[in-house]
Amino acid sequence: MKKKIFVATFLCFILIPGLTSAFTYNSKEFKHVITQLDMQGHADHDLSTCSIKKIYYDEVVEMLNGGKSEPEIIQSYVDEYGQAALRTPGGGTSGWIAWGMPAAGFGIGTVIVGVWIRKLTLKKAEVNVEAKAGWDSEIEKEIASKTFDEERRKLF
Amino acid sequence: MYLIGNISIYLGIAISLYGIIANLTGLKKKSSKWLESARGAVLSLAFVSSISSFLLLYLLGTSQFQYKYVASYTNESLPMAYKLTAFWAGNAGSLLLWAFLLSIYAAMVVFSKEKKNPMMPYVSSILMVNILFFFTVMALNVNPFEMTDKIPADGKGLNPMLQNPGMILHPVTLYMGYVGLAVPFAFGIAALILKKMDSEWIKLTRRWTLLAWLFLTLGNVIGGWWAYLELGWGGYWAWDPVENASFLPWLTVSAFLHSVMIQERKNMLKTWNVSLIILSYILTLFGTFLVRSGVLTSVHAFGDSNLGTYFLVFMAFMMLFSLYVVMTRYGLIKKESSPIEAYFSKESTFLLNNLILVAAAFAVFWGTMYPLISETFTGTKVNVGAPYFNKVMAPILLVLIVLMGICPLIAWQKAVFEKFMKNILWPLAMGIATAILLFVFGVKGIYAIIGLSATSFMFGTHLLEFARGIGARRKATKENILKAAFKLTVKNQRRYGGYIVHIGIALIAVGVISSHSYSTEILKTVDAGNSIKIGEYTLKFNELTEHMKNGNGVVAADVDVTYKGKDIGKIKPEKIFYETWPEPSTEVAIKTNWSQDLYVVLSSWENKDKVTFMVKVNPFVSWIWMGGIIMVIGTAFALIGGRPASIRYQTNKFAGR
Repeated sequence: MKKKIFVATFLCFILIPGLTSAFTYNSKEFKHVITQLDMQGHADHDLSTCSIKKIYYDEVVEMLNGGKSEPEIIQSYVDEYGQAALRTPGGGTSGWIAWGMPAAGFGIGTVIVGVWIRKLTLKKAEVNVEAKAGWDSEIEKEIASKTFDEERRKLF
Repeated sequence: MYLIGNISIYLGIAISLYGIIANLTGLKKKSSKWLESARGAVLSLAFVSSISSFLLLYLLGTSQFQYKYVASYTNESLPMAYKLTAFWAGNAGSLLLWAFLLSIYAAMVVFSKEKKNPMMPYVSSILMVNILFFFTVMALNVNPFEMTDKIPADGKGLNPMLQNPGMILHPVTLYMGYVGLAVPFAFGIAALILKKMDSEWIKLTRRWTLLAWLFLTLGNVIGGWWAYLELGWGGYWAWDPVENASFLPWLTVSAFLHSVMIQERKNMLKTWNVSLIILSYILTLFGTFLVRSGVLTSVHAFGDSNLGTYFLVFMAFMMLFSLYVVMTRYGLIKKESSPIEAYFSKESTFLLNNLILVAAAFAVFWGTMYPLISETFTGTKVNVGAPYFNKVMAPILLVLIVLMGICPLIAWQKAVFEKFMKNILWPLAMGIATAILLFVFGVKGIYAIIGLSATSFMFGTHLLEFARGIGARRKATKENILKAAFKLTVKNQRRYGGYIVHIGIALIAVGVISSHSYSTEILKTVDAGNSIKIGEYTLKFNELTEHMKNGNGVVAADVDVTYKGKDIGKIKPEKIFYETWPEPSTEVAIKTNWSQDLYVVLSSWENKDKVTFMVKVNPFVSWIWMGGIIMVIGTAFALIGGRPASIRYQTNKFAGR
């Protein structure tokens, strides 16, 4: 019996500090929760001068110390304020549209530019066929080549 | 004074109206007298707007509280510099500043060497429509010379957040950028009206566009610097709707500056270029609409008037007008466009670069407007904050950086793949070496490592371009390295100015990636004599003191700082209590070295001996400011380089190019 009491007391000494270890503003869990909250538009304010941000900070620490998990805390804010509680669009159609639109825009843009380059390149190919007989003589070609060389030299 | 101020505003309306009519009459009657008179009107507008601006400065400087604007934004105890910069603290003053800058720009354009250019009457008319709008809004809605019903003994004072050197420069530079974009826009539209589908308008406005871009860059960087120093939350860019509004035209003008090179060299992308400049100009109006309408919540918003409606109407008018001009000339533009030579060419990569920049602009626009869109269509408000933008923009900007590394190595017309691979070898090795080094030194975070390696690759490409140019020059001229480097860059200012800008962007990228990924933060309460440890720093809190500064109460903490055990001096984070403002203002204490910033905020205190600090270590933030300076130097270098547009155009015309 004495042994049992001793073990139980020993375990209590080990576990109690762990169980009562309080969450603070520097806790990883706290930071993880707080970075997700919009705090009614005060998320990027200076904590020392923003009373609303301070209230949110204290509430979250209190909830964490009260044993609530991170998703539960987030959910409690969403229940109270709707999606507007969060800094980024969440799930659902609205969230999908918000996140997906830039990608869709980029994709559509890529297709347009791709088609455009192809169209322009094809046009050039047609022009090239006509332009192949451009040089009237070798002398003319040589003059042009010398002019290009001269221009190149000017750059230096 | 009241009369002079108001008369100047109504004269502004009358003269701009007259100027537009004189131009149209001159064009219709082909009368140089009327056109000359319209030019005189532009000069008179510059004169009138100068009078009203200097008058407002005088009223602010001499604390004439019988004027509403002066009483709303200044008080007796405000230092003179801030009394004067209250000019742009409110709606009325900032609109007057806009009209003033625009009329000065218009006068410079109209009296430039190009004054006989057939485009000029159209250009000056378009600019005068803009000036007319601003003067009309001032007369109808926000008159800077409006009197108070009862003269107050003292004014309300300036928002403490605006009492910072950054705020003296940030709005003016941004406005100079915004206003500057009206010039290339006016030339673009004028060219379309005249059906001049060559690249003359682009050549004539190259310097104006670069100047506008330079000021937009400067405005954004100074804005970030101000936010970092003054707002006390430890960041420099919050993706606030109004920050986004100034970033949007920056992105589209960046695209424009790249794609005009193709039009100049290859006679391509005409519709695209004119659309880009119209879009950029419209985005400047959109930004102003956002600030003044209050449709979106923002720390920057003026939002206490119905100015947004005026801007919305004007924006819609300009958009429809531009659209009409482009659509009616579309066939003509298409007819005169040249084709592209090959998929694998500089032209293609420039197009890709344009796509990325426009995609970035679209993503920023979408994120900014989505809260409004979602609320309108679904009734549910959805916030789109910094984490969204960081996630969406990171891959886009990464691709942009990689492209900036690849693009200089690809030849015009048709690039040879083997040669490209040979060229890319060293920069690629530099990028890979960076990744390995970061990994070996225990740096964590795969995305940050990818970003930093891509930046190193981009930097390597530009270093190689400089090295190759200098090498080639030395081979041809036998000059020493310094002389060769100097002459090479001076003789090709446009090209190397652009490369310098890219190097500035590389520095900014290092700063942004590092500070986002590796920043550490601690919030701690300490007693006098106790210390806080963060990273390699130790902060020892000595005491809390109180004193008066410029008539305001200041509470400052005295803190000794050591870095790696070595004493690096004292810091004094402060809180300033303004009599005219309910909240105290935060004065952040920062210790900077080449690789990181120690950022300390005095958060709160229980008594003189027990204080709470928010301490952050932000790596490489100073690289962002340095990158900004380098970007400005590079742009200025490109700006003063090259032959004047008029000579270049005449030469090209003569040569049949």
